[in-house]
Amino acid sequence: MASSTTSAVYIHVIEDVINKVRDEFINNGGPGETVLNELQGIWEMKMMQAGVVCGPIERSSGQKQPTPGGPITPVHDLNVPYEGPEEYETPTADMLFPPTPLQTPVPTPLPGSADGSMYNIPTGSSDYPTPVTDGGGNTDAKGARPSPYMQSPSPWPNQRTPLSVDVNVAYVEGRDEVDRGPSHQPLTQDFFMMSSGKRKREDFTTQYHNGGGYIPQQDGAGDAIYEVAKAEGSKGSDFLDRRDSTTTAKSEILAHLARSSSKIPQLDGPIPDPYDDMLSTPNIYNYQGVVNEDYNVVNTPAPNDLQAATPAPVAQNDTGDDDDDEPLNEDDDDDELDDVDQGEELNTQHLVLAQFDKVTRTKSRWKCTLKDGIMHINNKDILFNKATGEFDF
Amino acid sequence: MATFELYRRSTIGMCLTETLDEMVSNGTLSPELAIQVLVQFDKSMTEALESQVKSKVAIKGHLHTYRFCDNVWTFILQDAVFKYEDASETVGRVKIVACDSKLLSQ
Repeated sequence: MASSTTSAVYIHVIEDVINKVRDEFINNGGPGETVLNELQGIWEMKMMQAGVVCGPIERSSGQKQPTPGGPITPVHDLNVPYEGPEEYETPTADMLFPPTPLQTPVPTPLPGSADGSMYNIPTGSSDYPTPVTDGGGNTDAKGARPSPYMQSPSPWPNQRTPLSVDVNVAYVEGRDEVDRGPSHQPLTQDFFMMSSGKRKREDFTTQYHNGGGYIPQQDGAGDAIYEVAKAEGSKGSDFLDRRDSTTTAKSEILAHLARSSSKIPQLDGPIPDPYDDMLSTPNIYNYQGVVNEDYNVVNTPAPNDLQAATPAPVAQNDTGDDDDDEPLNEDDDDDELDDVDQGEELNTQHLVLAQFDKVTRTKSRWKCTLKDGIMHINNKDILFNKATGEFDF
Repeated sequence: MATFELYRRSTIGMCLTETLDEMVSNGTLSPELAIQVLVQFDKSMTEALESQVKSKVAIKGHLHTYRFCDNVWTFILQDAVFKYEDASETVGRVKIVACDSKLLSQ
């Protein structure tokens, strides 16, 4: 679909760019000519895939190609496509491979490898510093590093050190919170906490269930209820359980509330009788519970495994309550995205990029003169030196 | 020489940008060098359009939206007809983005 002139100009531009950045690639510790050729190869391949450059014209036949080994560069398979359009897919797959090796160290449990030492940290179970120390020692071949954090000044793993330090810090923080908690089980839980701060809220709840500790009040007066409830001993957990359960009898709810509320100082106005009415409406009361539980479900695939104290009915409750919410959210997002996509497609499908010399308007009649433009219209790329436009508004 | 980044949105510019993105995320290319390549593309594309392209185009259509912001004109045309050389193209909706040519000569 590419017009011959457009294709020729594009090829010229590609060559021009490649030639003029060659110095940057070769000198000053640049990545070298190989990478430059790879860049050119991928770029041209994409252009051919887009249909704006005629494949046969390809540079390998190359009139202006000053590159000593134009089509050579067999280091990467990327140059293969020069010869035929069918093989376009192959280099694409190859291009996707390079990121993979970067990630492969993740599951590698060997503490000896330099990469593994960094990536191992998250997988280590209870003793975080150990793998770091091992890895650091082996990597530096100095065996006795006083502390894993001392890696930073070492010139060798310079690029990775900041990463590992960050990871450690994050884990130390997470661990502090865990230590306050009842047991070691949150080690796995830690991961999820890191992924979202909202989990912390959930941890507080867990600790209350276990009777683990006194958490400073940080988020408003609501938790005062918890403390009072907790002061009542086992009733505290009953209270929470009741919040989580739709099946609990209303009378029990009211009884608990009567006990608790009688001891809570009223801070935000008179105690409304309507509140009892709200309580008698299960949906409203459960809604408060769902606020916490929503985070469980969203952030943790299997909350019950991670938190022994979380009662099983919670999950059931969530699914029941979330049925009301999720369809709304998902559908809304999807619809919006779809609309946006469609809109953008409409807008960008045909596009003219140019410079304007003059734009004038007489009443509703617009005239403009453009120059040096690239048009992408009906899947064709058309270049122009000058264009005149006459539009009625 | 001043250049526009305008042409990066063209097919050739997008292909280059995608390529650079991939190579940077692969680690084969540093982001700084990728930027340099893009800047060079801005220059080369502008020069090529000035020196190598001689064709002229006439555009007509219904102006649906016009906008002039930060020295950039944006037109959205409906039922536009592009006449060039001996051919013409008709599109239901097209967007024209044009930078001020005087900014380049400064």
